[in-house]
Amino acid sequence: MATPERVVIAAAGVVTPIGQDLEAFWSSLVTGASGISQIERVPVADLRVQRGGEVKKLGRIKDWRGVPDCRASRLLIAAADDLCAQAAFRPLPLDPARVGVVVGTALGGVEEGEKALAGDRGRHRLPQALYDGPGWALARWLGARGPVITVSTACASGATAMAVGADLLRAGEADAVVAGGYDALCRFVLRGFDALRSLTRDEVRPFDRRRSGLLLGEAGALALLVRERDARGPRLGTLLGYGSASDGFHIAAPEPEGRGLERAIRAALADARVSAADIDMVSAHGTATPLNDRIETAALKRALGRRAHEVPINSIKGSLGHTMGAAAALEAFMCLLSGQRGLIPPTLHLEEPDPECDLDYVPGQARPGRPRVMLSTSMGFGGCNGALVLEAAR
Amino acid sequence: MKAPAIRGLGVLSGTEAKSVAGASAGATSANSTLAKSADWGSAGAISGPPQLKGLKNETVDRKSPEILALPRPERPGDRFRRATRECLLARAAVDAMLEDGKTSREAIAGERTALLYVTAAAYGASNRAFIEQRGGVMHFAYTAPAVVPAEVAIEFGVAGPYGILIGGAPATLRAIEQAARLLEAGTCDQALVLAVEIFEECADLYARHRRSYRWPLVETAACLWLERGAGALSFESARDGWRAAGAVEPGERFAVGPLADLRDWRARATAGPVELSGRWRGEHARLLWSPDKSHARDSAA
Repeated sequence: MATPERVVIAAAGVVTPIGQDLEAFWSSLVTGASGISQIERVPVADLRVQRGGEVKKLGRIKDWRGVPDCRASRLLIAAADDLCAQAAFRPLPLDPARVGVVVGTALGGVEEGEKALAGDRGRHRLPQALYDGPGWALARWLGARGPVITVSTACASGATAMAVGADLLRAGEADAVVAGGYDALCRFVLRGFDALRSLTRDEVRPFDRRRSGLLLGEAGALALLVRERDARGPRLGTLLGYGSASDGFHIAAPEPEGRGLERAIRAALADARVSAADIDMVSAHGTATPLNDRIETAALKRALGRRAHEVPINSIKGSLGHTMGAAAALEAFMCLLSGQRGLIPPTLHLEEPDPECDLDYVPGQARPGRPRVMLSTSMGFGGCNGALVLEAAR
Repeated sequence: MKAPAIRGLGVLSGTEAKSVAGASAGATSANSTLAKSADWGSAGAISGPPQLKGLKNETVDRKSPEILALPRPERPGDRFRRATRECLLARAAVDAMLEDGKTSREAIAGERTALLYVTAAAYGASNRAFIEQRGGVMHFAYTAPAVVPAEVAIEFGVAGPYGILIGGAPATLRAIEQAARLLEAGTCDQALVLAVEIFEECADLYARHRRSYRWPLVETAACLWLERGAGALSFESARDGWRAAGAVEPGERFAVGPLADLRDWRARATAGPVELSGRWRGEHARLLWSPDKSHARDSAA
């Protein structure tokens, strides 16, 4: 079978609780900064847990004219603004009809639905409440007139979006694709996770024996994808492969052995045409729920074999919370920056390793290392599992 | 790209749903328009329209556009005690597909079956129920679009590659293309393209934007079962400028439109290529499927 055309991640842009551009995001990760704070934008007084990774002020863009008054859309567009600043991508440097947009989200513009049901009859509320609303708002802001796709594989959405974006390029449907993920903190999701008792009152402690749950965060994360033969100038790296699999087990809980995640990892390695021995680093989903981290550890051991014990594995969710649809894209960018900058961010708040999570989860502080090929894993509601294999540019 | 072959197709449509004796009136005029029996496969008995608390006082007035609703299928067992209407309809669509394919559920189980789910708005009902604080703690999990294919994956043991697209008819056409790509690459041996749209619980919200849609809105659930085939498939999409967000073609079935069209085409057993098309938010898409014996229902049998 012919080798699929390689797809390059030419640039990336982010807005996160720990920085509103890629450099600030990276600096905060390697210095162990935390973006967790008291949530201020929506009422939380009645909730058991009132903290999260909130972006306090969207400072990147001063003029929001023409952009819907929708938090999710604005997070996405703020990330796009960072991307465009780095890649000189606005105004579009190529035929707008050849530029696609693929975004992943767990929640879309659901906050607009909350507003509509509360009596706000603004004409944009319902169209923005549909989960593909923010993706279309981004395309409009960019001036992109190629395919616009929204995927929603829960918290694996960012990974799915990057893979679908790469497919668009390989199929010749676009010459450049802006792909990634986003999700905004709103009362809907905070109340939901609070009710499920998934949130912790403690710090988020991935792979720590004291871990007691996750905290939610909000973010936008976008990459500029192009075919390798079309790539000019600097690049972050290459998207080598993607795999997905469903658990087919439970609506809200992961399959206890992590078989779905294992299948997704194996599929991603096969798609990338690499073996477990080629993997130099893993970015784990690492939500810090008691179940997730144990299951993920088991799945990594089975999928990577001995290599799982030899490579650094981190989770950045202790720094910024679980950013849902944005998480996989942010983690992919972190992997690529690690390979470029020679530093692996630590798993924040991992202080007392869990004997059941006995891999090298990079506790303490950032560690020197220059991984070349990285694996990034994601798991989501409904048994959605996704895995990306990435190669850093040197 | 090589075109996949159709192994089965199940479509449940609000234009054809059974009217059940004793069923109470729905929130819209749906029941008055429910036609005679249709192709419900083994979906089983229909228990009546959705019975969500809080809807009674939100009945759309007589001037409101019409929604042709699908009744809530009966719960097939205790595992579905919390399942939403869209989940139950998805399951029923898969059952209808299996019946169309004249086979049992074991045929689609396993790691070599891909599942691609598409919807524009089916999650709206569950989102609304949660926002209005109806349903228990676990209801939050059911607000995720991912839960509809999850229920299907759990029920039928589907554990292969997985994708969920949000959008109207073009997204479904793209899902069929993705399924063809997965089959051609050998990533899976068979692929299911599942699509569900329900509207009734949010009828008043759609009515606010009545000019954006070509009424009536027709609730539909469908599942298409694909295997490797020998024909050719081509997909193309184009934009026709920026229209008011939400404006759609007579695609009142939103994402499920192309699968309903495909069913109609099979029923006619027409020779020649199938052309499926649709529009959403100003994007046109078209899928051209070359002749393949498997397309026509009679040939498939």
